[in-house]
Amino acid sequence: MSNNQVGTVYQQIIQDVVESSRVDFEEGGVDEHVLEELKQGWQSKLSQLGVATFPWDPKPEPQPTISNPPTVPSNAGNYQSIGTPPINQSQPGLPMPQISNGPRIKAEPGLESPLGMNQPSPYQNQPMPALQNATTAQQRAAAHLHQNYGPRAAASINAIQSGGQPQQNGNPTMQQLQMMQQRAALAQAQGQGMQQGQRPQITQEQYQRMMQQNTTNQMQQARQNGQHPQNPNNPNSQNQNGQGQNGYQGPPQTDGPGDEETESFGVIAQGGEVMGRVEIDNLIRAQIESMGRHMEGGGLMLPLRKAPSSTARGRRQLERQRLRQARNQRQENGEGQMDGGDDDDVKPEELDEDAINSDLDDPDEGLNDEEDEDEGMGHIMLCMYDKVQRVKNKWKCVMKDGVLTVNGREYVFHKASGEYEW
Amino acid sequence: MAATGQSFYELYRRSSIGMALTDTLDDLISERRIEPQLAMKILANFDRSITEVLADKVKARLTFKGHLDTYRFCDEVWTFLIKDVTFKMENSSQTVQADKVKIVSCNSKRPGDPQ
Repeated sequence: MSNNQVGTVYQQIIQDVVESSRVDFEEGGVDEHVLEELKQGWQSKLSQLGVATFPWDPKPEPQPTISNPPTVPSNAGNYQSIGTPPINQSQPGLPMPQISNGPRIKAEPGLESPLGMNQPSPYQNQPMPALQNATTAQQRAAAHLHQNYGPRAAASINAIQSGGQPQQNGNPTMQQLQMMQQRAALAQAQGQGMQQGQRPQITQEQYQRMMQQNTTNQMQQARQNGQHPQNPNNPNSQNQNGQGQNGYQGPPQTDGPGDEETESFGVIAQGGEVMGRVEIDNLIRAQIESMGRHMEGGGLMLPLRKAPSSTARGRRQLERQRLRQARNQRQENGEGQMDGGDDDDVKPEELDEDAINSDLDDPDEGLNDEEDEDEGMGHIMLCMYDKVQRVKNKWKCVMKDGVLTVNGREYVFHKASGEYEW
Repeated sequence: MAATGQSFYELYRRSSIGMALTDTLDDLISERRIEPQLAMKILANFDRSITEVLADKVKARLTFKGHLDTYRFCDEVWTFLIKDVTFKMENSSQTVQADKVKIVSCNSKRPGDPQ
């Protein structure tokens, strides 16, 4: 059967190619072990395709090695490698020997781990349920209020939330384990001020959803709630607070709360999951506009009397959606434009042209589909033809020297004759 | 058939062994371990090698039947799309069936290559 032959044939090809490429490697000044690497990579990629059994396969016994990992290594090892990626694991045998984030997010040495806070021993979780219950109760209360009274309940919800905040801050020791990575990433990406208030809500989806529906205003409140009550909380539970800080922020913020710009970006980032795109766009636009106003209002490059109009122009350039309006305004302002229409004017026309072209350029979909399906590991026969004959709708072909891939297996043949009718 | 200096079809680069080679070369190039020119040479070696090995070492024969769905002949390349196709391997009663198979086939007698 020709499938058995595939392995040896391919090995021969690989050997041949490697040998004949050795000269090319030397001429190119490439080290020979790269060639060896090429061979290894080639073989392993071929094995992955699983189109046949290859001579190099049995030695490492690929099938056992594939099936082993789920069963043989201890669960602890697996858990760690999955849950806590880039850590130096000193004790792979123990379940959760170290919080991976301990070294990374540690806030202040004073607050941290005289009691071994960074080692989430099973004991540590024991006090948690009570706290968590409290939080869920608050959550439910908030949800209830919101359901019944809608936006009017915002104040009450905030009150609940601010009450619950310190406890929520303490809580995440458990959630931390799951969300460490996200947080680490977020901590770098976001304004720190926002995080303290918002973080706990990320883990508590129900509440978060409501919160974010209530838009910026409430988010700012939430932020304040999150930031300030934490300090009075310090004496209460140093450990928890330290932990909370560990979880929530990178380096401690010593330069006061974030200023307006970071704040609004924080809002965007926070709300990104739930806020509509339009809202986000609006926020970003407002931000950019204000930046533009700042820059142009500085009037570095313009005489003062021109400054206002240039400000207006800058704003308009940012409002591409209101293109027409902007053009009108410019005319009203009496700004003569001598260098032809600006880019904004051209764009929509280009888009129109594209639209027309896209109609005309209607791709041959049937053909492309066919191509796509047959690409990769499709059913394909690559060969050379000796003869192709047709009588009416009956075809007879004689092929030679082919490689056939069908149903995930590969076959080689010296000669193949086919008969088919159209 | 394999005179030196002769160029070979690049057809077989689409086979699994060719794809595996191209992937590996791509990796090496993107890691800047080798130059693309060297990769081209290796692929040319592959074109020659697989053609020779298939011609010299493989003896298996097979027959296949089916319904021709699409045929195309362009630049000396036949392309068939055959549906409900059955392959019969010689020397063994084994048959392989497939809903459809695409055949890409180059001329075994190359133009300007008297044989």
